[in-house]
Amino acid sequence: MTYVDLKDIRVSYDGKNNILKDLNLSIEKGELVSLLGPSGCGKTTTLRVIAGLIEPNDGDFVVDNKNLTRVPVHKRNFGMVFQSYALFPHLTVKENVGFGLKLRKEDKTTMNPKIQDILEVTGLAELGDRYPKQLSGGQRQRVALARALVIEPKLLLLDEPLSNLDAKLRVQMRIEIKRIQRKLGITSVFVTHDQEECFSISDRVAVMNNGIIEQFDTPEEIYNRPKTEFVARFIGFENFFNLTKQGEKTYTTSEGHMLKTSQSWDDTKLVATIRPDDINILPKGTEQDTNMIPGKVVVRTFLGKSYQYEVETNVGKILVNGPKETAYSSGEELLLQFPEEKLILV
Amino acid sequence: MKNKAPFILLTPGLILLIVFMFLPLVTIIWPTFYDGKLTFGSYLSFFQDNYNLSVFWRTLRVSLIVTLICILLGVPTAYYIARTSKKWRGLMMAMSLFPLLTNSVIRSFAWINILGTNGVINDFLMKLGIITEPIKMLYTDSAIVVGSVYLFLPLMIITLVGVIENIDLEMVEAAETLGANRLTAFMKVVLPLSLPGIIVGSILVFSGTLSAYTTPQLLGGNQNMMLSTFLYQNAMTLGNWQSAGVIALIMIVTTIIVMKLFNMIAAKFDKRGGEHA
Ligand SMILES: Nc1ncnc2c1ncn2[C@@H]1O[C@H](COP(=O)(O)OP(=O)(O)O)[C@@H](O)[C@H]1O
Ligand SMILES: [Mg+2]
Repeated sequence: MTYVDLKDIRVSYDGKNNILKDLNLSIEKGELVSLLGPSGCGKTTTLRVIAGLIEPNDGDFVVDNKNLTRVPVHKRNFGMVFQSYALFPHLTVKENVGFGLKLRKEDKTTMNPKIQDILEVTGLAELGDRYPKQLSGGQRQRVALARALVIEPKLLLLDEPLSNLDAKLRVQMRIEIKRIQRKLGITSVFVTHDQEECFSISDRVAVMNNGIIEQFDTPEEIYNRPKTEFVARFIGFENFFNLTKQGEKTYTTSEGHMLKTSQSWDDTKLVATIRPDDINILPKGTEQDTNMIPGKVVVRTFLGKSYQYEVETNVGKILVNGPKETAYSSGEELLLQFPEEKLILV
Repeated sequence: MKNKAPFILLTPGLILLIVFMFLPLVTIIWPTFYDGKLTFGSYLSFFQDNYNLSVFWRTLRVSLIVTLICILLGVPTAYYIARTSKKWRGLMMAMSLFPLLTNSVIRSFAWINILGTNGVINDFLMKLGIITEPIKMLYTDSAIVVGSVYLFLPLMIITLVGVIENIDLEMVEAAETLGANRLTAFMKVVLPLSLPGIIVGSILVFSGTLSAYTTPQLLGGNQNMMLSTFLYQNAMTLGNWQSAGVIALIMIVTTIIVMKLFNMIAAKFDKRGGEHA
């Protein structure tokens, strides 16, 4: 059942360009949903609309069947973790975490145990009396999280919370966030532009482009079956070429090569895409068959675990990753085989 | 040997400072302590005289009131300016700096025209029939306060805009998501973080008011002397350079003590440690 509902949200900062264009998003209770998209696509704007820091020009924002569109930020009771953490430098860790409780006029006897609990959950128990300046990046991140969680928010909003951490800590913290989110069962919206981070942490992912949501699905579904060319490109499909439909699951390229797919696609989808990893390289003499296109190596690049080839074919340049045991040199001719089940239409 | 270079660069400025500032000061102040032998007599007798004391307390009172008013008016104004878009900020800064661009004599005459017995305010109130006799506003402590606030508020505002601009707006937003309304967020986040700016601004305003001459002279008149006008009178009218030297040192010491106090208050409220004015 839908818990959080964004309905036809439109936002324009200057009255001319719409940054969010009738955006719709429905989130279920207890779910962790990610907004994934390139920089500037409107992720932060969406999160700020949810938080109440921006009032949308049009549309409704509903939580738990209550319309909150015009409810000001401070009455929403959502926890937010900012990209910059936005900790209060003049307050200690405990005071930062207790800030929201103090505003709720809680007395010390109910407040202190809550603060202590959350500091323990976030692994900050020893650091309560320090000032933000005396903490490492990862510790600041935890304080921001603790401060947002201690008010028992209806929603937890995180805006690229891990982007300021180094790679190793980032992996550690995202596991941590997932664990805490699960433990408290709190409905969360997580903004990121990092696809691996997003796939590992989310129940569902909304891929955003230019103010709209292109696809909203589980990470597996998005990884295996991107619905649009934009989504496919964003998650690592590099090769795109046009097809003509010949029949159920049967297509031809512009040069007449026959390609079969294992799934059936609706008639609007006529662009084929495939990941460089999913293409097989066969030596030149192999007998020509369906799903094979001949080509010539233009550039070879060593990637460490494999070679990447840029192959010139009559459907355009195709990127292929091949095993490092056999290296084809540039100028060499070969056959590319596109497995039926790996060929996606967008 | 390399690290002596920066010091050498300092010497021209240092010589200038010593010759043109430090030496004259010493030649004025030294005689106030030396009367055949070393003595504090001049200072003791200054503080034993009731009139002198009244001038001293007026100076302190007026300077503190001006500082307080500049804080109260300056903080919200600076917050507003710091939060408007870049486009308007320049214009608003220019407007608030305007008083600094006019000559202080002209500025004070403007206030004489406003506050005087036949001035704009009295005229207006009498025409409306609210008062029948003009109210005495010119040549009072309040007139000095008004004139000085007008003069020094810009200093407070520029200082504070610089500090508030650097407060991350996301901190205010974080406070709001945690349940603070606009006012509470301002009081609990912006104000404490503006403290270094308030201190610097206060020191500028306080020492400015304490040492200004034209404004208290023209708006306070001879019945409402401040230390600066008193000093001038002693030196130029009475030719008493000994007293003038005493007053000069008292002004310097008072300023230093009050600056120290401001900093102590700031340190008490701001426990981040190590990083302010
Ligand atoms: N306060 C603002 N005023 C005007 N334009 C803005 C403002 N904030 C964001 N934008 C614009 O809106 C678009 C989306 O921004 P944002 O939501 O921050 O994207 P993301 O978080 O996905 O990087 C960008 O083109 C950005 O320039
Ligand atoms: Mg962003």
